[in-house]
Amino acid sequence: MSDFLHFSEHTLQEVALVFMACVYVTRIVWFLRFAAGKERQGQTGSGATSPTKGFIYSWANVAMPWAMESTRTKPSLYVQFVLFHLGVTTAIGLSFVIPYAPALLENGLLVLILQIVIGLAFLVGVRRFIRRVSDPYMRAISTPDDYFSLLLLTAWFFFAVLAVPNNSAGGEWHLLMYFWLTAFFLVYVPFSKISHYLYYPFTRFYFGRSMGYRGVYPIRRVHKAKTS
Amino acid sequence: MKKSTAEESRSHKAQVVVDRLGKKLNRQIVGSMVACVHCGLCTDSCHYVLSNPGDPTYAPAYKADRIRKIFKRHYDWTGRVFPWLVGAKTVMTDEELEELKDISFGKCTNCRRCSLNCPMGVDFATMNRMTRGLLVSVGIMPEGVATVSKDQWELGNQMGVLKEDYLETLEWMEEELQDELDDPSAKIPVDKEDCAVVYSINPREAKYDPRTIGDAAKIFHAAGEDWTMPSDGWDMTNFGLFSGDDELGGAVARHLFDRVQELGGKKLVISECGHGYRSTRCEAPNWAKYDVPFEMESSVETMLRYVKEGRIKLDKTRNSKPVTFHDSCNLARSCGITEEPRELLNLVCTDFREMYPNREENYCCTGGGGAMSMSEYTPRRLKSGKVKAEQLKATGAKVVVTSCHNCVDGLTDVIRHYELDMEVTQLVNLVAEALVIEKPARVPTVVEDLPLAGRRIVVADDEPDQLLYLATVMEDYGATVYQAASGDEALTLVRKEKPDLVTLDLAMPGRPVTEIYEVLRSDSELEGLKICIITGRPEMRELIYQRMETPPDGYLDKPLSEDDLLRGVRKVLELSHQEV
Repeated sequence: MSDFLHFSEHTLQEVALVFMACVYVTRIVWFLRFAAGKERQGQTGSGATSPTKGFIYSWANVAMPWAMESTRTKPSLYVQFVLFHLGVTTAIGLSFVIPYAPALLENGLLVLILQIVIGLAFLVGVRRFIRRVSDPYMRAISTPDDYFSLLLLTAWFFFAVLAVPNNSAGGEWHLLMYFWLTAFFLVYVPFSKISHYLYYPFTRFYFGRSMGYRGVYPIRRVHKAKTS
Repeated sequence: MKKSTAEESRSHKAQVVVDRLGKKLNRQIVGSMVACVHCGLCTDSCHYVLSNPGDPTYAPAYKADRIRKIFKRHYDWTGRVFPWLVGAKTVMTDEELEELKDISFGKCTNCRRCSLNCPMGVDFATMNRMTRGLLVSVGIMPEGVATVSKDQWELGNQMGVLKEDYLETLEWMEEELQDELDDPSAKIPVDKEDCAVVYSINPREAKYDPRTIGDAAKIFHAAGEDWTMPSDGWDMTNFGLFSGDDELGGAVARHLFDRVQELGGKKLVISECGHGYRSTRCEAPNWAKYDVPFEMESSVETMLRYVKEGRIKLDKTRNSKPVTFHDSCNLARSCGITEEPRELLNLVCTDFREMYPNREENYCCTGGGGAMSMSEYTPRRLKSGKVKAEQLKATGAKVVVTSCHNCVDGLTDVIRHYELDMEVTQLVNLVAEALVIEKPARVPTVVEDLPLAGRRIVVADDEPDQLLYLATVMEDYGATVYQAASGDEALTLVRKEKPDLVTLDLAMPGRPVTEIYEVLRSDSELEGLKICIITGRPEMRELIYQRMETPPDGYLDKPLSEDDLLRGVRKVLELSHQEV
């Protein structure tokens, strides 16, 4: 391993991580400085709903594609969502495994599984980019950040697939590309839409709590066989 | 402090909007501003999108981005540092605010369907209401919103119903009730203190649909309820919900809450109205910062409770037509009232059929968010009702029931526009119809006595079928009727025959009816003439009501049943039972 690759796997990542953590903390502090709206009225709805049940249901929503019409009626988009985010998680994990636990990647089966998972995410990234470019509704709501983030993530998946075996015998360029892209993301993510996961727990908490307070969440699915 | 170049060139209104946006932000709103990932999953949840294929400007995320970009440019540092990257953009001119108005008021009914379909929990409807509030605060809003808000500020109700007219309507309904039940003890008590129930209504009921007041009174009477209606502060609707004006919302609610307290009421019952219930029960305590010391419930819950407690008995065979139910957005998506109306429906009719999708996934009636008051958007609203029309048609029902007055009007428009063979009614009407009262109601003698006998009426309508129908009904009840197919014809007949009443359709060929109306009102020889508007174009009613002249003596929506027509005409002619 060259010194440059070593630097890319360790020092570069650590500096980028610290930067990201600092920006994230700043971001959360900024967000929490806005006062949370409160409900003064009495609770509505049946006993089956409550603020607590509401926000738990809301948080669990991500794992319940049947809960919303938008995911229930578009199963392929939900599958893409799952694959894409599994790929992200795996590729992030890889950036720790390679420098700190490389021995794990001596297991050929594990390498294959990781490559399949990240490879599928890469394909989803390509599919998502095509959808964003070709669908007029998606184009109308897309910002440069939406295109840029998706393109870069897709490229990152590509290099992550190559980096999984952690083999530099044929050259280090693919590992270097993977780690430099990882570092770039760590710096870029807090400024982009990719940081949505930072807000997800908050938005779903407040929306779910409010909907629970008002008797809407958890939604009952009875008598809905024909729901579109 | 020296202003930046951008601030100097920004219009005053745009600057105010930018400044006030910062004051409106709370954590929930900011979360909705920053969390959208533009995944597009909300797109197909919007009835505007579904009914206008190929136009992405209706997509909820697109609409949300119109305000989101301003937020990002001024209040989110990613947008301040990299505006081009995240689509941040300020607002500079009044024209841009007008465009925002078109989106906020004209392309969204705040129905919240997209909010419930967002994987991130972005509540666009709440953001949109905030946007409306910002625009209203600088005077940018549809004319109808300004008119209704003004009425609610100045007269305490959103339809400008005068106190004497309201009280007269209650008296009239009381007389009808006593006559129907042959029971002089059947009352509509006004300002009675320390009652178990204070009943509040939508001014639409007093102005256009008094039958619902009579039906509610019948139910309260049959249940032996200790109830009253306030003479003031009786409007439970709240245009603050639609206009985004929290100050108006708080003031209206405080007026109602204070009145209930002054009367010593134990419980406030809110008649069937989606936005009325949501604003009074759920939002108003927040807007008014008012800890409400009494209970509040929807009249749907009240009626169901009466049945469960055995206080009223129902005969469901009296409502035998196939019935479906339309969930109001405000009740289903913002207050969780979905099962109570169904439980009650199954008790009052023999053939209830679900509409799909339903409950919190139901599509908007198209009239939500104050859309019925924004006549400039009517063509767009009706076009966007396509998905609703298909949903209604698929049920095969002949009657659609809804617990919301806006929905009644919105659905009526959709049914008429898409030529569906359906009628719209409310639970209170079905319950009153199915009510079993031990003492059989006396058959009203008014029909036998020809209640319009001796009355001379000019009926003006350009649709031959309608004209014939209106004339035939009135003639059957004893009136002498003169038919006119245009406003000018009506004017000629009125001057020649000097009738007691002239009914005018609002959309007739020839001279605009507003001009005819002005001539009729200004002619001193026609001083005692009563004028009643009978129209199938409710969005045009403001053409008459906003005029300087004395408003019409009556207003009726088409299609009209025989009973409603007779009742309406009698009301305009001020015929009591004693007279007939």
